[in-house]
Amino acid sequence: MKRFLLQRLLLFLPTLLGAVSLVFVLIHLIPGDPVEVMLGETASAADKEALRRSLGFDRPLAAQYRAFLVNLVSGDLGRSLYEPASVGEIIRSRLPATLQLALCAMIAALLISFPLATLAAIRRGGWIDRAALTFSLLGLSLPNFWLGPLLMIVFSIELGWTPVSGRGGFDHLVLPAITLGLGMSAILVRILRASLLQVIHQDYVQTARAKGLPEKQIWLKHVLRNALLSVVTIMSLQFGGLLAGSLITETIFSWPGIGRLTVQAIQTRDYPLVQGCVLVIAISYVLINFATDLLYKLIDPRVSYGD
Amino acid sequence: MSIVLPARYHCPFLPVIFGLLLIFNGCRSPAGDRPPGYLVVGIESYPLRLDPRYSTDANSVRVGHLIYDSLLRSDERSVLRRQLAEDWRMLDDRTYLFELRKDVKFHDGRPLTAADVKFTYESILSPDSLSPKRGPLKPLRAVEQSGAYQLRFHLHGAHAPFVEQFTLGIVPAGSSAAVDSEHRPPPGSGAFRVEALQSGEKVTLRANLDYWEGRPRLAGLVFKNVPDAMVRVLEFKQGAIDFMQNDLEPDMLPWLEKNTGADIEMHQGTTFQYIGVNLTHPILRRHKVRQAIACAIDRDAIIRHLLNDLVTEAGGLLSPHNWAYDGGARRWPYDPERAKRLLDEAGYPDPDGDGPLARFRLSFKTTNIDLRRRLAETFKEQLMRVGIEIELRSYEWGTFFSDVKRGNFHLYSLAWVGIEDPDVYYQIFHSTAVPPDGDNRGRYNNPELDRLLERGRATLDRTERQRIYGEVQRLLAEDLPYIPLWWWKNVIVKKPGLRGFVPYPDGDLISLKKARLG
Repeated sequence: MKRFLLQRLLLFLPTLLGAVSLVFVLIHLIPGDPVEVMLGETASAADKEALRRSLGFDRPLAAQYRAFLVNLVSGDLGRSLYEPASVGEIIRSRLPATLQLALCAMIAALLISFPLATLAAIRRGGWIDRAALTFSLLGLSLPNFWLGPLLMIVFSIELGWTPVSGRGGFDHLVLPAITLGLGMSAILVRILRASLLQVIHQDYVQTARAKGLPEKQIWLKHVLRNALLSVVTIMSLQFGGLLAGSLITETIFSWPGIGRLTVQAIQTRDYPLVQGCVLVIAISYVLINFATDLLYKLIDPRVSYGD
Repeated sequence: MSIVLPARYHCPFLPVIFGLLLIFNGCRSPAGDRPPGYLVVGIESYPLRLDPRYSTDANSVRVGHLIYDSLLRSDERSVLRRQLAEDWRMLDDRTYLFELRKDVKFHDGRPLTAADVKFTYESILSPDSLSPKRGPLKPLRAVEQSGAYQLRFHLHGAHAPFVEQFTLGIVPAGSSAAVDSEHRPPPGSGAFRVEALQSGEKVTLRANLDYWEGRPRLAGLVFKNVPDAMVRVLEFKQGAIDFMQNDLEPDMLPWLEKNTGADIEMHQGTTFQYIGVNLTHPILRRHKVRQAIACAIDRDAIIRHLLNDLVTEAGGLLSPHNWAYDGGARRWPYDPERAKRLLDEAGYPDPDGDGPLARFRLSFKTTNIDLRRRLAETFKEQLMRVGIEIELRSYEWGTFFSDVKRGNFHLYSLAWVGIEDPDVYYQIFHSTAVPPDGDNRGRYNNPELDRLLERGRATLDRTERQRIYGEVQRLLAEDLPYIPLWWWKNVIVKKPGLRGFVPYPDGDLISLKKARLG
């Protein structure tokens, strides 16, 4: 296990370096000049050149890249080109919103998918099973830009139960979390149901029944646990996506998260902010993958990482 | 029978997840219902920088006007009025003398004096300032403080449009370009002071009770960032937003009228929408081709069916509100037959009459915003009727604008926002104003126009300037380096109890300082 952890940590750095390097090159390749946006229409060419020089944009790309890496190593992500704050401060102010929404969406997805998939597998072919599959189909088909406003109209406007948008108390979280969570739960229901159906025909489940174990215990101890492996993989991928920010849901619900920040930074060619956001997203993905590997071992002790 | 699960069968992650959730929720300030007496204004994008020396985006400028006073300020008829200036006059064609009010204080209690005004202008002029406002201040040679409340502005030469620069917000002497740890901009002397900034979410302003013009009637203002137009409308319906201006889809207004008790007003605005033309293109260089394009576009149909009368047909850059507007400039009403004749005369006959072949093919660039794409589709359809085939290309904003600046286009559509002084023609059409030195993106070159524009900015007599810019407008309406489309109206949606708000043609919200909730 120690060797595995060490290996993973060693892989951590090249992965992050690869991600930020790729973004560094891409953001400089796409058309658009931040200096033009910063100084506006009326600035003289000399002023623009002076700003370009002061920001270091006049240097060769390789030199800019070197400076970026040196700063990165010392923990300095630079300053935003537009907002009067450092990249680190801006990301820190947005990260809690993203984490909060991602966790709530994940919880919503788990609360919906686990009971539904389990009931569907227990009552295979029955109405619950059909309802679960229909729900899953609908959840996969409904885009967030349609589902979000629909939920707003029903729960905020017609029933008046929740605020329409924005970040505040728990009531602000409900609709965006459900909007994101429904799509995720639709996938989870399908995967978990299929996995459960596969496991219940395994010999060890039949043996448990023959031993006279109560049915609920068989489901919880033998079936559900063994069906979890495939679900955990999907969940980690989905959760990584949530931490990268869900642009559409964040925009619809005026949620000040990382997704909106990243897109806004790309649109304004705020190079340091784009790089900072991508670094945070890359770290999130790497950490989640790492946590997923640990979870595998926790769920199934037979999983070995070569120790 | 209930089942008690051994501890190891409980999901070990749920408590962790809930714990984190509570922590994150606990990190938040308490859910913000609006403080009593505050008005909530829905805005489409968060103001990037409120410091008036650096603010360029529309919302930063509008919010900034409520925080920072300036020497002069435009009124609702776009006429410059005294604000911090008690008196001002021109000593000669390159010197302005200002006497300041003596009863003005910044929000931190310091009195506002000539030293603060001098500092504000000089801090922008400093080469290290990196301020986007430095360009427009180029004609300024020096600011001389001639008393505690008196100062003189010395220009390099006569420059009529410079008076616009006296609308710059004043900050206290010594204000750094950097912000404090809470990202607050420097204090102003305006009707509202910054109470709280929540990055990406909202800006809260509190009434300045010591305001020299009298305390505002509203206890405060909350500028709430709601990027999606439909959600802003739903927020208004729910009562979470009290006031919205512009940035609404045309088809939302009938719904608002029917389903909410909103007061909806429409007023002539100054935002000018046009089709830009690349004048170095061998086909578009011919002015008859440009005239044909102008005749081929059925603006009236677009305005009625696609834009729900949210715009008024434009003949040129300056709106009828502007003091330099010339109503006699030539217009090009929809006339497809005339467009065809003009194209024939330009040397581009229709190769197969009513057949499918086009006279020529051009590209049309636009952004990927839905309404812009729909408008571009309509132009394409209408131009095809006279034999001009259009290939549409839509891009995200950064790429689109970069192409426009580099002259990498045949036709494109954009808008000019906040036009006040007619000297803007210099920036857009003078032959030396090709990017990066200006905004002559179509590379228009007309020595006669150049002479007029040079005279216009050096002439201080307004009547004479009016005559010069009348000529400019007539010349451009004939030559069509831009194909004029329309001026956007300002659409104001407010809750019925709001009184005293006066709309400004450029969308300024300054009159909120006199508004009150009934």
